[in-house]
Amino acid sequence: MAENKSQGARSQEKVKVAFFDFACCEGCQLTVIDSLQTHLDLLEAVEIVNFREASSEQRQDYQIAFVEGSITRQQDEERLRRIREQADILVALGACAHTAGVNALKNLHPLEEVRLYVYGEHADWYDTYAARPIGAVVEVDAVIPGCPIDREEFVEVVKALLVGKKPPIPDYPVCVECKLKGNVCVFHVGKVCMGPVARAGCGAICPTYGDGCEGCRGLIPNPNENAMKEVLDEAGLTLDEIMDRFTMFNAYRELEAEE
Amino acid sequence: MRLRILPKEEIPRMVQALMADYQVVGPKAKGPKFVFEPVADPSEMRLDYNITILSPKVVLQPPGERVATIRLEGKAPQVEPVVEVEPTVIFGAHTCDLHAIRLLDRAFSDEYPDGHYLERRRQTLIISVECLEPCDEHSFCKDMGALTVDEGYDLHLTDIGEAYTVHVGTEAGEAVLERYAAARAATDADVRRLNQVLSAKWPRFTHRLDFDAAELPAMLATAYEHPIWAELGERCLACGSCTNICPTCYCFNVLDSIALTQTEAVRTRRWDSCQLDEFARVAGGENFREARAARQRHRFFRKGKYLYERFGTLGCVGCGRCIRTCLVHINIVEVFNTIHSSA
Repeated sequence: MAENKSQGARSQEKVKVAFFDFACCEGCQLTVIDSLQTHLDLLEAVEIVNFREASSEQRQDYQIAFVEGSITRQQDEERLRRIREQADILVALGACAHTAGVNALKNLHPLEEVRLYVYGEHADWYDTYAARPIGAVVEVDAVIPGCPIDREEFVEVVKALLVGKKPPIPDYPVCVECKLKGNVCVFHVGKVCMGPVARAGCGAICPTYGDGCEGCRGLIPNPNENAMKEVLDEAGLTLDEIMDRFTMFNAYRELEAEE
Repeated sequence: MRLRILPKEEIPRMVQALMADYQVVGPKAKGPKFVFEPVADPSEMRLDYNITILSPKVVLQPPGERVATIRLEGKAPQVEPVVEVEPTVIFGAHTCDLHAIRLLDRAFSDEYPDGHYLERRRQTLIISVECLEPCDEHSFCKDMGALTVDEGYDLHLTDIGEAYTVHVGTEAGEAVLERYAAARAATDADVRRLNQVLSAKWPRFTHRLDFDAAELPAMLATAYEHPIWAELGERCLACGSCTNICPTCYCFNVLDSIALTQTEAVRTRRWDSCQLDEFARVAGGENFREARAARQRHRFFRKGKYLYERFGTLGCVGCGRCIRTCLVHINIVEVFNTIHSSA
């Protein structure tokens, strides 16, 4: 990990931050813009020097870089490495950067087939390769999971980075937050949910509103996947449906595990 | 103290009157289940509930609570304790949950008295209700001696048909009854009716443990290496639900969150679970209860042995919440029966 030069940020100079994106929908950056409207003191704490989605300023003297999106082309790697070289702290912003998210679904199919489907007769104009998280290309210092990210968690991560602490990303599953809210378990009303193995931090937002968790924040460390598959089987899912649940946001991980 | 009679139609009036001076937390419907939540209208309260998702522990040890604010200006951080509490009535607690609260009372006043819990407890009145029917097939309160209570409540209600009998447990309960409810003295006929109701209820509850729960500490003492723990470790999702919904679990984690201005911080605590991968992870990365099997064993030993050794009370009240919530059907009654049959 690059030396944390932002420590001691309580001195006068604001920490300079930048936002970059690769293959993504930019929804996480929109959530960041949202958070700037609800947490006005964010801009008291940091100076945004590069944020294409929100600002015309494009300076390269940033200390913290937030990167949204998956890496899907060779030239992405070169750009990401330049960001890594400049940034003291590199943060993966959202599922696409963190786990490769839904972008990695294409890895389940032959690449030629996927390119033909998307680009048609001009498929050979686009030299895309298998989607990967940014951590597969460069070292990542912190992640903010989710599709999209949770704005409160984004603010907490910024705070932690400013004081040189490890960002408080939970290692426990969504079930924990769901139980603490006193929710009715969605399994008990005939739905299915990845909550027992999916990483928390979202406040169990989907089950709180009555829908099963899709696992957009990735899986917890050491998930009991066999037991989870049995739970989904008992809930009536076919083997294909069970695998779809595991690969929706975690295809990259599942494919890596097979290799 | 004398037995009183409270006609059922008086209950909404009593709740309404209490709401003027207290937060009233009672059982309310939530989808197909029930929860203990603040009551906004007496008609929401469902004294006919079977069991709630979380126990009324949520009043005394909330899932998350602010415990201190810390000022960072100046030379040393200044810690200011915060106790966010208001006078509260828990209305409609079942006796299993009352037994659990008595255990929490001991845990939070033992060795290091917990100011936050004890202040909430001091400002909380408990009106409990006698169970006359089992919640469902999962409760085993009768085995755990939690099917009735003789202390720990301020007022205790028993449904005798048109009315509730009211046992007064404390002076505070007596005062509340005087001030907020129109109760009358019980007649000989009321007492006879109460005795009929109580003697009729016991046969409705079945024993589910194959042995006397008093044997649990000694039984577990020789079961540390039992093969069942490895089997549970294979099945367990480590989702933490069994302990998070448990009325006698009281572990918590403490977290600090600093303001963006870096001039102040807020310290909160929230429930923690020994079933989670990170629970026993310490500085340096060592995890002294890394295997799910070891974590499951720890949970059952807490319930059947460790708390008994510490407080003289078993750590399980037989509410069955952990059985209902477990998606892989880990069943505390079956686990204890299996160990007992193989001893």
